[in-house]
Formats: sequence, C-alpha cells, structure tokens
Amino acid sequence: MKHLKSLILGVTAAAIAAAQGVGAATATGSVSASVTVSAMAKLTLSSATVTFANADPDTSPIIAAAEGALTITAKGKTSTGATIALTLLAADDLRSGGDRIPIANITWTASGPGFAAGTMSKVTAQPVGSWANSGSRTGTQSFAMVNSWSYAAGSYTTTAAYTLTAP
Amino acid sequence: MRPLAQCRFHRVALAIGIWGVSVLIAPSAGAQTLTLTVSPSTITFAAADPDTTPSIAASSITVSYRVRNNATGSWRISLLASGDLTAGSATIPITNVTWTASPTPRFQAGTLSRTLAQTLASGSGNVQNTTTGTVVFRLANSWTYNVGSYSTSVVFTLTAP
Repeated sequence: MKHLKSLILGVTAAAIAAAQGVGAATATGSVSASVTVSAMAKLTLSSATVTFANADPDTSPIIAAAEGALTITAKGKTSTGATIALTLLAADDLRSGGDRIPIANITWTASGPGFAAGTMSKVTAQPVGSWANSGSRTGTQSFAMVNSWSYAAGSYTTTAAYTLTAP
Repeated sequence: MRPLAQCRFHRVALAIGIWGVSVLIAPSAGAQTLTLTVSPSTITFAAADPDTTPSIAASSITVSYRVRNNATGSWRISLLASGDLTAGSATIPITNVTWTASPTPRFQAGTLSRTLAQTLASGSGNVQNTTTGTVVFRLANSWTYNVGSYSTSVVFTLTAP
C-alpha cells in the first residue's frame, strides 16, 4: 500500500512537469533600427536691425539700441563633447560718407546660459556664445554704443554677421 | 501470497495513475503552432531638421502571423528593444521611439522599451490563415541628439499559452 501511494504521486508530478514544459509556445522575429544624426546649425534673431538714436553725449553717454534686447536662438547638432560656437563680426566701422565711428564703440551685454558679453570688431569674430554638445539655446543680446561729441553729424551704418558653427 | 483484495486495489490504482498522465499530458500532443515573420528586417530613420520634422517616420513593417492548435488560449505579439539607440558612447533613449499599428483592435500603438516587452497585438483562439498587420515606427526628433550613426534591434515575439 505504501508503494502504491508513491507511484501515484510520482506519476502525477511527472505529468505536471511535462505539461508546464510545453505550455508556452513562442515564435520570434527581429528588426534592426538605425538613424544617422548629421551636423546641423540653425540661428534665429528676433530683429535684423539695430538702431541707436541721436542723443546728447552729456546726458546719454551710452546709447542703448532702440530695438531693446535681441532674442537669439542657437540650435545645433554636433559630436559628443564638441563645442557649438556663435560669433559676431562687423563688416566695417559705422560709416557715413567719409566719416566713421569705430565699431569698437559698440558693446553688448548678454543673458542666457552660454551667452557672453563683448565688444564688436571688424577684424576678429567675437564670441557671443558657446555650448558643449547638441542642443537648442536661447538668450538675449543688448547692444549699446558709446556716445561722443567727436562724432560728425551723419547717418552711419554698417553690417555685422553672426556665425553659428556646429562641427 | 497477497490477498486477492490488495491485488485488485493495485490494479485500480495503477489504472487511475495512467489515466491521470494521459489527461495532463494532453496539451503537449496538441501544442500550439506559431509562425511569425517580420519584413523588412531593417528600418532607417532619415536625418531631419527637428523644427520641420519633429517626428521621423520609418518605412512600414509588415508582421505576418499564424496561430494554430490554440482554440481556447490567448496569444500576444510583443516588442522588446535590445537597448537604446547607440552610437559609440552617445545614446538616444529607446523610449523616444513610438509606433502605430493596424488593423485595430488586434494591433495597438505603443512606445518601445528596453526593459519590458510591450504589446503590439493580442487575441484569442486560432488564426488559421496567415494574417498580416502593419507597424510604423517613429522617432521623436530633437536638437539634443549628438552627431552619430545610431542603431539597435527590436525583437518581435509571438507567444501563446
């Protein structure tokens, strides 16, 4: 009788194990996914012009740009650890016929992560911002011009170019 | 010499045991037959400007499946990514990849995971004829992705207990 109980339990356990072993059928497939991220840069300025109003040098030794702060959005994709750089280079001094105001008389302050203050140059591109790795960065740039009694009357203009580099 | 009553009891018990085996093993004799194919086996997300193309769609994938010997059971097709999209040390989280699928309701939309298999399709009973579904994967584009050639793989699994 004792042997009989062992036989029944043993057979039942084996049957359960067999049923569990074949209970889950599976079939599989696979797909490889890839994406190539290429270097890319995009720059947006809130205004394409900056204007300094006529003012008395005694009362307004520094003239802020009439447009207020420019909003700059610099977007770039670069390699891991590489630096995205934004620079500004003036084409020339401010000129009105034969008269000129040195472009170095224009400075700017900046706000926003990675943005920097600076002074304009017609010789060397000046850094406006730099950031490690890819991303979209927004900041502001506020221009001001040193006023002076030495400036000849006239309408002065120049141009300046921003360059955003994402190596 | 054993008493006659004990011998009879042995025979009865043995018969019960064998009957139990045949009932419990019965599922193995009719084990589910599952077939699954996925085509194409490679998809590519094209490079794009995140401002103009915030979501990059890959070409569609056709999933063909068949389920037999599963009259009373359920079945499921799941997706599991082997990892994030990687290019050297750079990564794009695999959760940035979503999919849409048809036909509904068997097929459903979802988001890829590298840790937990996600359900692509499910049903119950048999699918006697090979049946197809369509899946379109999409990558959320971003300016934060660093330059590189990223890749990963996604495993489709058809299961039927």
